[in-house]
Amino acid sequence: MASNKKYWQSVEELKGSSIVETLSKKEFVEEIPTDDFLGDKETLENSSTSRRDFLKYVGFTTAAASLAACEGPVRKAIPYVVKPNDVTPGVADWYATSMADGYDFANVLVKTREGRPIQIMPNKDANGTTSARVQAAVLSLYDEKLRLQEPSKGGATITWSDADKEIAAKLNELKEANKPVVLLTGTMASPSTSKIVEEFIAAYPNISHVVYDAVSESGAADAMLAMYGKRTLPNYHLDKAKTIVSFGADFLGDFHGGFEKQYIAGRKPETGDMSYHIQFESNMSLTGANSDKRLVLKPSDQVFALLNLYNIITGSNVPSKTTSVDADVNAAAKSLQKAGAKGVVLTGLNDKNAQLVALAINKALNSEIIDVNNTLNVRQGNDTEVAQLVSDMKSGKVAGLISYNVNPIYSLSNSSDFSEGLKKVELSVALSIENNETVDASTFALPTPHFLESWGDTQFDQVTYGLMQPTIQPLFNTRQIQDVLLKWTGNSVSYYEYLKGFALTNVLNGASWNTALHNGFHKKEILEVEETTVSDIVISDVASQLLKSTKASAFELNLYTKTGLGDGKQANNPWLQEFPDPLTRASWDNYLTMSIADARALGFANPVKDNGAINGDYAKVSVNGKELVVPVMVQPGQAKGSVGLALGYGRTFGLKDEMKVGVNAYTLYTNGNNIQYNVSIEKVSGTHKFACTQVQKTIAGRHDILKVATLKEYNSSADPKHSWNKPAFVSYDHNEVEASTINIWDEHNREIGHHFNLSIDLTSCTGCGACVVACHAENNVPVVGKNEVRVGRDMHWLRIDRYYSSEVETREEAKELGLSRGDTYRALETEAENPEVTFQPMMCQHCNHAPCETVCPVAATSHGRQGQNQMAYNRCVGTRYCANNCPYRVRRFNWFNYSNNNEFDFNMNNEYGKMVLNPDVVVRSRGVMEKCSMCIQMTQVTILKAKREGRAVDTDEFETACSSACTTGAMVFGDVNNEKDQVATLAKDKRAYHVLDYLQTKPNVVYQVKVRNTNEA
Amino acid sequence: MSHYEAPIREPLVLGDKSYHDITEDIAKPIEGKANKNWYIAFYISLAAMLWGFGCIFYTVGTGIGVWGLNKNIGWAWDITNFVWWVGIGHAGTLISAVLLLFRQKWRMAINRSAEAMTIFAVFQAGLFPIIHMGRPWNGYWVLPIPNQFGSLWVNFNSPLLWDVFAISTYLSVSLVFWWTGLLPDFAMIRDRAVKPFQKKIYALLSFGWSGRAKDWQRFEEVSLVLAGLATPLVLSVHTIVSMDFATSINPGWHSTIFPPYFVAGAIFSGFAMVQTLLGIMRKVTNMEDYITRMHVEYMNIVIILTGGIVAVAYATEFFIAWYTGSPYENYTYLSVGAATGPYAWAFYSLLFFNILTPQILWFKKIRRSFIWSFIISIFINIGMWFERFDIIAIVLSKGHLPSTWWRFEPTFVDVGIFIGTIGFFFVLFLLYARTFPVIAQAEVKTILKSSGEFYKKRSEQGIPTKPAIKIANLEGESDKKDKE
Repeated sequence: MASNKKYWQSVEELKGSSIVETLSKKEFVEEIPTDDFLGDKETLENSSTSRRDFLKYVGFTTAAASLAACEGPVRKAIPYVVKPNDVTPGVADWYATSMADGYDFANVLVKTREGRPIQIMPNKDANGTTSARVQAAVLSLYDEKLRLQEPSKGGATITWSDADKEIAAKLNELKEANKPVVLLTGTMASPSTSKIVEEFIAAYPNISHVVYDAVSESGAADAMLAMYGKRTLPNYHLDKAKTIVSFGADFLGDFHGGFEKQYIAGRKPETGDMSYHIQFESNMSLTGANSDKRLVLKPSDQVFALLNLYNIITGSNVPSKTTSVDADVNAAAKSLQKAGAKGVVLTGLNDKNAQLVALAINKALNSEIIDVNNTLNVRQGNDTEVAQLVSDMKSGKVAGLISYNVNPIYSLSNSSDFSEGLKKVELSVALSIENNETVDASTFALPTPHFLESWGDTQFDQVTYGLMQPTIQPLFNTRQIQDVLLKWTGNSVSYYEYLKGFALTNVLNGASWNTALHNGFHKKEILEVEETTVSDIVISDVASQLLKSTKASAFELNLYTKTGLGDGKQANNPWLQEFPDPLTRASWDNYLTMSIADARALGFANPVKDNGAINGDYAKVSVNGKELVVPVMVQPGQAKGSVGLALGYGRTFGLKDEMKVGVNAYTLYTNGNNIQYNVSIEKVSGTHKFACTQVQKTIAGRHDILKVATLKEYNSSADPKHSWNKPAFVSYDHNEVEASTINIWDEHNREIGHHFNLSIDLTSCTGCGACVVACHAENNVPVVGKNEVRVGRDMHWLRIDRYYSSEVETREEAKELGLSRGDTYRALETEAENPEVTFQPMMCQHCNHAPCETVCPVAATSHGRQGQNQMAYNRCVGTRYCANNCPYRVRRFNWFNYSNNNEFDFNMNNEYGKMVLNPDVVVRSRGVMEKCSMCIQMTQVTILKAKREGRAVDTDEFETACSSACTTGAMVFGDVNNEKDQVATLAKDKRAYHVLDYLQTKPNVVYQVKVRNTNEA
Repeated sequence: MSHYEAPIREPLVLGDKSYHDITEDIAKPIEGKANKNWYIAFYISLAAMLWGFGCIFYTVGTGIGVWGLNKNIGWAWDITNFVWWVGIGHAGTLISAVLLLFRQKWRMAINRSAEAMTIFAVFQAGLFPIIHMGRPWNGYWVLPIPNQFGSLWVNFNSPLLWDVFAISTYLSVSLVFWWTGLLPDFAMIRDRAVKPFQKKIYALLSFGWSGRAKDWQRFEEVSLVLAGLATPLVLSVHTIVSMDFATSINPGWHSTIFPPYFVAGAIFSGFAMVQTLLGIMRKVTNMEDYITRMHVEYMNIVIILTGGIVAVAYATEFFIAWYTGSPYENYTYLSVGAATGPYAWAFYSLLFFNILTPQILWFKKIRRSFIWSFIISIFINIGMWFERFDIIAIVLSKGHLPSTWWRFEPTFVDVGIFIGTIGFFFVLFLLYARTFPVIAQAEVKTILKSSGEFYKKRSEQGIPTKPAIKIANLEGESDKKDKE
């Protein structure tokens, strides 16, 4: 119904008077006398601006200009015009994919927010695990400094099509002339890529494929080839092992890609039994630190001990030498024989002969632990072929080199030969994600995408077929090697189509591509392995060759890879540089580890300076006529006569200045051998500044912080409360009572709603530090740089404390020894020469009676209903009293502004690096305190999700970044009010205890006593 | 004016002063020109102050990271300096309030400067809690003022909040007390002032003091009331400061004897600082007749007493750390762990400066010596700084978890700010010495013996008794004024 109402403003309008219309056409009611003012030229010219007027104008304009300048910076937030179906702002998307960067291989899940990958977690369905490096790889995606962004030729940008044309023309020319071309790649472990390479080689028969791993495990692969006829790495099912004897194999580190998940699965004291692990090693490795019995032995003695073990086990008499640990070798042999097929011997010596001896021992034991069928593809590098290539290149026999994902100029010990040879080739193409020395020396530099931007497939072992899918549009003008090779082969199909076709025909066997892609992997039902043929190897010949190559000398160098940087691929990743080494707790450095005895004899020391930082002396290390000046870190548990040095450091090309730390140990890595004999060490002048996050090495007699029991004690019927897990007792009303029974406050009812607890099993924690980096990523923890870490200002919310045992462990022992009080303290504070090592992850304990909460004058930190100790950054004024009053010292203060600050030029200071920030967590400003929040942003998401779906939160549905990153399941998070949650049981376990329980802070983080199997044999 | 002087008591004012002499002596530094020494001292202090301000601006502009603190040691020089300055501020109130209530006439020569010192020291102390904050611009959040931040309120559980109340109360009461005492003296300066501007200023400062009997009566009453109010503050302020530590859970801080021990320590250091300042002032402003050996000796006796209490407290702390048998007490600031650890030098400095040094004051000759008193007072000032440094830095450097043991080293900014506050303190004190009556002349005049002995002595020495007439004149003048 049409309205006939009429609205009017005046009677004239209602009546329709003409004046209304006239007026409505005029802007001003009265005529503005502009003509009077401007029309008379004369007056205008005569009028002068007085001084006062002038000052007014100046004042006004200055004020206006400065006000305009005060406007806040404009930050663009562009909304979606058309919202993509699969992106809901604020809701994370997870993609299953795989990581394979040539050194780290993992089946992972990637968390993306608004199209940006922000976190990598293990794909537990695919039995995937993550290490610190895998966790940190998400930041390497956004490395705008090191990554290649555009294809270029001789330094000048070029289009992909031009590059294709020129290279294809050259390749065809070389093919016509039948001049050899080499495709040099890292390990790819990708079946479809192998096929593409085959096709490429078929199209260009003059091309040969050489695989080069910067950190070589060629020896093990060669031994497998000799004995079992295939060049792969054996797999070890350590979860089923009863006795593990390792000669320098760092299998919790990077040995064959790491076995920590299997290892810890075999070390659960709840089952009443644990594997017994003996480690013979020279460097203090993560594996040795976790072993039940650790024997320090320099590399040459490891060889002899290995041969002695072979002799005992097989009853043969191959040539060997006696060592100082023959009795222990005997004991190890007995234990192995007792374990029978459940025993296994591993060796980390990258030497075919040593590996053959180990394989022979395992064969003699009929070991079920070693698996030569379902083998590993993660290290395919062939040192012999690489050495041949370098000498061919040097002699000008190679006409073309296409390199992918390798940096031989940095990582070869004879890199000068390589660069010399590279100058002689007619065609040099470097396909690389990063701009490095080799890329720089090649004519064509072709950028490849990060694995988070790529399609692909992986095959780490023989059973699991993994898929890789992009989680973000390529950031730069990149193209995958597979696409490049397909194009050069003349195949017009895209790699995505190729991959899909390959998977459907060769792998999936009728299964759905979409399902496989969704899951990120496909388990092959039948293990497709040809029967392994066992060739007979004469071990006595092997042994004599081994003895010949073992040149026992006064100093032997054991090169190793660090948990943080590995082979150095991610050297420009600030998270990894800042990641403290689990053992030395030094960040931003590599160094020569030296035994306490040798350091004393040669005059090396690590004095603690007045600002708490550690200094070191420099040593000149000479091997094979090569010299390197390295800072020395005195390392308890290092074998006398041996020194260790980590690979992967000392990169400079293309790196940010802050990341150019350490020395390049690859220069000493002759023939890819991790053991170098005839090393001489000389002290040279200069002081090195280390950046360690922990200075005091021992527990100083405070054993209630770190409780350790033996398996025998654990299995005994004694009440743990009176033997190996004693709670604190206090005097109350003149009675000794358990501290936890006393309460000076009226408790809140904690049984309503959720109440979170985190259980940390010290037996299962290997100290790998994946949780540390996961926490970095999840919580936008800033990186502060070497100088700040050095003075004790690292910002890690989660750290892993490492304690060495001391020769004198308790005050009672000291009393028996008759030590004075001062000497007692010194004895308790000084680490043993070959100490036992214990790791203790430490983060905010979320005390129900939190000492920090009462002392904040502005109530910026308070207790949550779900047990969290919460920190309101906005309210914090920064008195730091909470940090002083925290007995666990887990609070971290923002000493400076760590974001958008050129003094801290890390990922939070550039637009690419900021893309990794978790939008759910605020970036803290300077002057405020921060700390672990128990990932409240994650628990809230879980709660809200359940609420939206109209259900209760599932059992074990709650997670934190650290608990989901934990490979071994040492960290378990959950709701203790849900009886079915694993943590509810763990919180009441007989191994459960609270750190510093005598303070009655009632933490919500509960530790499980570390159990060592030291009673065996 | 029939003041009885016991023959065994020393006179409080030397030099056979007449009333007028006192007026002249006290007014001289204000009315005369400053000497070269004053200017030298002033410019040095000013330079130090400006340097300190520069360091403060640098800190506020850049972040607390410019100090030497770290993740395990959240306080060091900042709170050390805070407690040290608050402690120094203690003597003023004790001298003016407690000694007033106990009718200790000797306080009259020193209370003005002691109180000035208190106020200036509390200024310095008050700086630190503000600048040690990570975000000092939000410092007002510690005040319980109604706000629009939501239902945010301060945390009354926090000792830091108690500090805010304690220090601000102390400062305001001390200021009022000091000013009340200053009123008649300002009026005296006003009455003598020749320059109109000066006269105006002092007229304002004296709040229109007229010298009537009613004024004096009220003055006496207010003084007594304020003394009564201020006396508990002597105990409360440092008790509360000590609770910053005592209510925490750090071994070495968590100690029930802290309140009395801190109060004693504060008086100890306060008297030492009064000794230091008066040692300089009596020379610079020619107050030798008013600040005598007897004053020095009395103050030294207080120092021996409070120093003794402090020494007993140290012994108790050391004993208890051992007696608990707890491994966590092994490294408190008074323990074998501290004595053998990296901070042994600080540990022994504390013992030397605070326990050994004051003991030589048992010798009468030394405690009556100006120069020895001066030296010892400086030693005690240093020692008391070390006490606070030891409590804070040594305790924090060896926390519960050995993995968190760390050390502290100050940066130039830490040092600069400390020096800056010393400079600021002396700038204020030197300005005070030139513009304020440094001795409570009105009060001193009440203890002047003006019997016939005085005139007799004078006539014997052949000095004309003119001053007496002058006093009469003066009194006549003020009478006149009253009539106006």
